Amino acid sequence: MDTNELKDKIFAFVEAAKGKKKLKEKDIIKGVSADTGVDKDTVKKALREMIDVGRLMYSYGGGASSVEIPSEEYLREKGLIK
Amino acid sequence: MSKKYDTPLLDELEKGPWPSFVTEMKKAAARSEMANDELGQLEKSYRTKRGYWKHGGIVGVLGYGGGVIGRYSSLPDEFPGVAHFHTVRINQPSGWFYTTKALREICDIWDKYGSGLTNLHGSTGDLVLLGTTTENLEPLFAEYSSRGWDLGGSGSAMRTPSCCIGPARCEWANIDTLEICYQMTQKFQDELHRPAFPYKFKIKVAGCAVDCVASIARADCSIIGTWKGKIEIDQDAVQWYAKNGMDIKAEIVDMCPTACISYDGTNLSIDDDNCSRCMHCISKMTKALKPTGEKGATILIGSKAPIVVGSLMSWVIVPFMKLEPPYDELEELIRKMIEWWDDNAKPRERIGELIEARGMREFLEAIGVPPQPQQVFEPRKDPFFFWKDEDLTKE
Repeated sequence: MDTNELKDKIFAFVEAAKGKKKLKEKDIIKGVSADTGVDKDTVKKALREMIDVGRLMYSYGGGASSVEIPSEEYLREKGLIK
Repeated sequence: MSKKYDTPLLDELEKGPWPSFVTEMKKAAARSEMANDELGQLEKSYRTKRGYWKHGGIVGVLGYGGGVIGRYSSLPDEFPGVAHFHTVRINQPSGWFYTTKALREICDIWDKYGSGLTNLHGSTGDLVLLGTTTENLEPLFAEYSSRGWDLGGSGSAMRTPSCCIGPARCEWANIDTLEICYQMTQKFQDELHRPAFPYKFKIKVAGCAVDCVASIARADCSIIGTWKGKIEIDQDAVQWYAKNGMDIKAEIVDMCPTACISYDGTNLSIDDDNCSRCMHCISKMTKALKPTGEKGATILIGSKAPIVVGSLMSWVIVPFMKLEPPYDELEELIRKMIEWWDDNAKPRERIGELIEARGMREFLEAIGVPPQPQQVFEPRKDPFFFWKDEDLTKE
């Protein structure tokens, strides 16, 4: 599986949990690795790349951190969209 | 400033001989609209006995999951200067040593992008900057990082490791707390900036059991300097203390937690085999007593303040570890602890709470540390070692 395809799988995994469950970084790595058969380190690397460019983002609420899909407002603040 | 708030309740906190945070806030308010509105909102909180802060959310700098704590006023129309009032944690240098040049640099940047209010230091150990807006976060971070500063930890992550001043100024330091803290900060950079844990994890390094950094009460992993040899006694210095008014029986002998000190009115003696290295006698009689022999650290696990469940104190898991650069043994141990915790904890469960729930035996097996007498937290009260079936053999 190439990196872009893996990133799409990660995004879909996070999107499926939206509004249902706050996902920790480890939940995503474990879940996507189990679904795709790609090793955890590769999933982790791809996830980090997505966070670094703002495709996913870290969030914080209820005392714990999670990974989410960024809002348009967030992307605008970071200058990633106009 | 466009407005000036009357602050009769806050003014009460300026009375008396001690320093007042209100006085400092008023100084900042003379130059900053944010600090001015913060003063107004705080006075209102005192008057109505209600808090007006909303906390959390999705503020931060790109790629980082920690270091910024989102804070918003619930009264943005009344106090627009604090509509956004985010807290920024800057990773402090080991031992909190700064040059005045560095402090000026920090304050100049903060005056440019924030309220000018600071907290040196927060209980986490970080240098805390109080009050900036979401739009200022990226330029603020860019300017600090261009000068070599970095954000500290927040959220479910490794928190910024901290340490006492150690050998830089303290004769009692048994380990190089400053170097250990720096090396742990470097080794756990990824865990510090990218929150991947069930909850927070804190490392604090103290040079001796006096524990100036309160590691035994506040750190998930406490590293406390200790020694293996005897306590060297200078009997002439003991006499000097006696002649200068110290009641050696009351202040030293009777205060020894393991009753291993005796004093016949002339000579002090210590049964070193029964000494728990608590540092009480040494810190009271600095001229007379001195630790000798091999130096290292005791590693403890599990303390926390009371948030989800009650507070916990740290628990000895490694009675003595020789700590020398590059501290790989310590790093490896901490990584094993984190791995077991991360695999088993519920969200917002600290490692100490998980050990309480699952048992010390399971934890020790997971990290590969053998059971030792020094790990017994409360003698005869919680025997956490049990024989397993495979340990039992029939003769």
